[in-house]
Amino acid sequence: MSTTTAPSQTRNTVYVAVFAAMIAAMGLVPPITLGVIPVPITLQTLGVMLAGAMLGPWRGALASLIVVVLSVAGLPLLAGGRGGLGVLLGPTGGYLVGWFFGSLVIGALFKYWVIRLQSKPLQLVAGLVSTILGGIVVIYLFGVPWTAVVTGLDLKTSLVGSFAFLPGDLLKAVVATLVALTVHRSYRGLLK
Amino acid sequence: MIAAKNTSWLAGIPAGWKFGTLLAVSISLYLISSWQVLLALLILSAATLASARVDFKQLRMPLLTLVVILGVVLILLGVQTGWLNAAISVLRLLAMCLFAYSVSLTTSFDAMLELFQNVASPLRVLGANPAQIALALSMAIRFIPELKRVYLEVREAQHARGLGNNPLAVSVPLVIRSLKIADETAEALDARGYDSAPAPRNQR
Repeated sequence: MSTTTAPSQTRNTVYVAVFAAMIAAMGLVPPITLGVIPVPITLQTLGVMLAGAMLGPWRGALASLIVVVLSVAGLPLLAGGRGGLGVLLGPTGGYLVGWFFGSLVIGALFKYWVIRLQSKPLQLVAGLVSTILGGIVVIYLFGVPWTAVVTGLDLKTSLVGSFAFLPGDLLKAVVATLVALTVHRSYRGLLK
Repeated sequence: MIAAKNTSWLAGIPAGWKFGTLLAVSISLYLISSWQVLLALLILSAATLASARVDFKQLRMPLLTLVVILGVVLILLGVQTGWLNAAISVLRLLAMCLFAYSVSLTTSFDAMLELFQNVASPLRVLGANPAQIALALSMAIRFIPELKRVYLEVREAQHARGLGNNPLAVSVPLVIRSLKIADETAEALDARGYDSAPAPRNQR
């Protein structure tokens, strides 16, 4: 973020703050029930994926971090109105820690790989690989062992338990990729 | 979960002390494996929470979520490794969360944020700018109601088009409007000469 043509530091800070607010807003609004699948999903992790895919590694990761910091400090921003120190210490705290790294990985992959590809289908595949890797693999990499350590469950059970969220998360990865690529087409230069 | 005008004895203790104690208690909870001690600590944590005179309406949802998760954990662990083991894990988690709620609900949001900023201040050596961090945090808080309003507006508009449940139709306008809001705000800040760059020579 220190290149000469990069947007000003103030602009970067504003982007981070607005996307943090967007992630928070996605958790506050009552979940959407998808037509076919009768499972209510909140869009909060979609926001985490989008922050990385739209803003790049550092700004995206900081946006996710701000949401976690504000929630842990006490604002009820997480899905279901949760907040406070308990969310970090509790069984699902690892997923929150994973947000930062998830956005970071997605942002890096989008900035240095996905956006530079020439053909649209290739971009789509690369984007999907990036959002799944950062938004699911990386986040679960923190969440699953955390749950295991905190609860005393073994890793395998903890992993199997996390699979309950896998369909929703996969769907979010698809949506995040499509949204990011669509918006990048009209909003060029965000990842310069 | 914010301390709304809490007047209990816990509210008078500085946030740093409460946070430090919570950290120490959490670590020691993991070192204890006797269910009798853990049960005693759970009672202590419940007593602490009760003595904090918090608004229990605020606690209902978080507690419900916690109980559901712990119920699943209890059954899974019980079947896998025995019920004593399961009880120990659940007692430990419950005690820890009740202590955490006691701290959260008796510490004002400002005090908590200030504590985090103090904890993060060594990052200055790595090039982080405290003014920039403070700006980002306060701006994020300021933008949450606005983004929520935008989100609801977009959803309503797409609902009218029969696309209310289409995540793509909702997310694209939401992201574009977020970017527009960010651009406008950045321009407004620049136009007013707001400068949060770290170099002191910028001050005239």
